[in-house]
Amino acid sequence: MKEATPPAWAHGLLQKICPSYLWEGIEGDLLEQFELDVELVGEARARRRFIWNALRFIRPGIILRNKGSYNVINAIMVANYFKVAARNIQKRKFYSFINAFGLSIGLAFCMLIALYIQDEREFDQMHANKNQIYRIEEKSFDTWMNESPDPYRRSAWLQAALGPTLKEELPEVEYATRFNDGNRAIFRYGDKVFTERLTYVDKDFFSMFSFQLRKGNAERIFLDKSEVVLTPEIATKYFGDEDPIGKSIEIDNNGKQSFTVTGIIEPPPSQSSLRFAILLPQENRNHYEYNMENWGNFGTPTFVQLRSDANMEGFKANLDKVIEKYMSKRLEDWRKEAVVPIPADVKMLEYEFTMLPDIHLKKEISWDKVSDSQYSFILGGIALLIMLIACINYVSLALTTSASRRVEVGVRKVVGAQRSQLIYQFSLESLILAIISLVIGFGLVLLFLPSFNEFTNKGIELTLPKALQLLSVGLALTLITGLIAGSYPSLFLSRFRPALVLKGGFTSRLQAGFTKPLVVLQFALSAFLIICSIMMYRQMRFITTKDLGYNKDQVLIIPTQAGWNEETDRVIEQFRTRSQQEPLIVSVAGTSSSFNQGYSRYGFKINGEQKSAYVYAADPDYIPTLGIQLTEGRNFDVKIPADSDVVIVNEALVRDMKWTDPLNEHYNWREDSVGMGSRVIGVVKNYHFLSLEQNFEPMFLSMDKHNVGYLTTMMVKVSANDVTAGLARVREIWKELYPDKPFDYTFLDEDVAKPTAAINAG
Amino acid sequence: MSKEYLGEFEELVLTMAGILQEEAYGNAIVTEIKERVGREVNLSAVHVTLYRLEDKGFVKSKMGGATNQRGGRRKRIFTVTNAGLAMLRSMKEARIDLWKLIPQLKMVAI
Repeated sequence: MKEATPPAWAHGLLQKICPSYLWEGIEGDLLEQFELDVELVGEARARRRFIWNALRFIRPGIILRNKGSYNVINAIMVANYFKVAARNIQKRKFYSFINAFGLSIGLAFCMLIALYIQDEREFDQMHANKNQIYRIEEKSFDTWMNESPDPYRRSAWLQAALGPTLKEELPEVEYATRFNDGNRAIFRYGDKVFTERLTYVDKDFFSMFSFQLRKGNAERIFLDKSEVVLTPEIATKYFGDEDPIGKSIEIDNNGKQSFTVTGIIEPPPSQSSLRFAILLPQENRNHYEYNMENWGNFGTPTFVQLRSDANMEGFKANLDKVIEKYMSKRLEDWRKEAVVPIPADVKMLEYEFTMLPDIHLKKEISWDKVSDSQYSFILGGIALLIMLIACINYVSLALTTSASRRVEVGVRKVVGAQRSQLIYQFSLESLILAIISLVIGFGLVLLFLPSFNEFTNKGIELTLPKALQLLSVGLALTLITGLIAGSYPSLFLSRFRPALVLKGGFTSRLQAGFTKPLVVLQFALSAFLIICSIMMYRQMRFITTKDLGYNKDQVLIIPTQAGWNEETDRVIEQFRTRSQQEPLIVSVAGTSSSFNQGYSRYGFKINGEQKSAYVYAADPDYIPTLGIQLTEGRNFDVKIPADSDVVIVNEALVRDMKWTDPLNEHYNWREDSVGMGSRVIGVVKNYHFLSLEQNFEPMFLSMDKHNVGYLTTMMVKVSANDVTAGLARVREIWKELYPDKPFDYTFLDEDVAKPTAAINAG
Repeated sequence: MSKEYLGEFEELVLTMAGILQEEAYGNAIVTEIKERVGREVNLSAVHVTLYRLEDKGFVKSKMGGATNQRGGRRKRIFTVTNAGLAMLRSMKEARIDLWKLIPQLKMVAI
């Protein structure tokens, strides 16, 4: 049998760092252990153990015992290397600056990208029960998408009654909470009046998630429906330094009501998929009782926490039973109603679930801050490319100056420098510069982190442990880069033959073979990255400057905050009358919603054919305010009573209906069996009411209050001459007309530029 | 008490070196600790501790004779010096003194 031998590299490595006078004893002990291990556990594992044991010897207690005269000379030499390096950096300040700065930019980018990737991976990790908390999702057969390869709709919006039902009926479920975020309401405490975003949850919310309650008792919160839990920031906003617990605050959400503060909760960190500032019990949602009865309404995200011993397959089966129990009748109806027959083996509705930490990267399901793991990969790739370019840059620059160092190399060799010492010297020099780059790069990270956060829509903070972690990653990167980048010049320079060099017979042609392809590669990579960024920039420009088909400039969007009733229409009318004499206000229009902030889409059958169209409530001022072009017909007119039931359609709808003379058509979107439907009075040119990536979809405008809805959003166009003064004037009028309502506004172009907001049903 | 102080692991290694006498070298001490105390320790930790004890003067070392095992490498044998023995003894006595101060209660089931 062949004699088993330990891995030579581990053996050799240890010998290098081990003080020679200790070496024999240590080596003997390791070998003895190895021989023993070979007999006990076999050669493969023995080798692994040998490596482990040997590497464990790399510790200060051993390394620091390296002493003796040899080291003294070494230390002198190292000091000399530092001195020479410093002199060289000083001598060629500009070159050193370019070299170090290039590398620091590369490092800064890599560190920022590392922060981004780390942030993406850390989402929702702060919850102690994170692996038992699941978000329930619907997967339902979408009869409108029958043709598509994946005709299912997936969403986290579920029935209001699902959460309580699951908790009550399923043995696996320990806690359940619903989570509705985004509804806005007016808060009033004393003279403080603001609009706030509300989040409706259930009592179990406080037991499931690890958001710390600073005040209040998790067991007793939300026993009553008129309780409210605030984050400290909101509490200070209204109550200042007073103790908020037990205070009562008025919330106007379709009717004024008084709420008692019973808890103060830690605000969610930026790496949380759940965002909230004010928590209210679910029972306060509008139409709560109706939604609890109605299993056909999907508007409530639901989270459950399973018992630790829960069987996932049993859970899935029980979810199916819930559908069977509450939905079977309705699903049968849906199946029958479908225009195209649905195969019998297709399930109309299923529940699926996603573990809490996986929500952030589950891009199929729309959710606050949801992201795509692809971004991390792409950015990681870019980081590698940038680092590669920085490295190449570093090497080429170092090489070009190497010629001027050749005399030094020659002299050093003549006085007895070993080749290994020269390699050591030049590697060290390269490392010194690389470490300077790291320091600059870290400074750049600190400098650019706020803009980076803004750009990526993140809230990364550089805490001390994170900074240390980042620095150690950066240091590892720097060492690798410095060594790789320094290796070629150092090997190259140390190869000079002293006699040749000193005689001046040195040829610089040596380096061309190596640097040329490097420069070409670097150039190609840079060009590639520049082209990529130009393309991305163009894409952004496209979104901000493309003609949308309507005029989005100088239009203020103001929610009326008057609920969903005639009152809101009156607000718009009142405001319009009041601003008629104002030179700074061009026009005032009312609509159901601004663009990119949610929409209504109706589905219906016309002559047995499944149709769908987007719907916006409008008034006669809508089309002029937005500068939408009417290609045929006329605008709405309040003086014509019949106009409450007419529609103005877009060209896409005309094409969808295959009309040749649209002004003589009726659009029967209400499935009216008696009449012919709404008369078409006008056609508008297609405009981008959806995001730019989407095609023009059929859309119509209507003034039908009962079927389309009230004008809950006011659009005010101010004079382009002085937007600031116009805005100030609008604010004054608002304050004068509605002193008890906060003035909330956005500009239409801001709304459009926002990434499409997740659809937030109230 | 002497002004030198011994850590718990140092004391353990020093005691083992005392027990093993002429056979006290790195590997043997690791094995001995495992057999007598049931504790897994790493070879490098024992080595470092032995060198530190040597610095403090509680052990001294010399190279043993070559054998056919261990690839012909000699063992570094450690012997406890008088100072080491005195240290061990004083630590033991100090502990016994302290032990005596504990009221001798009977153990009762609670």
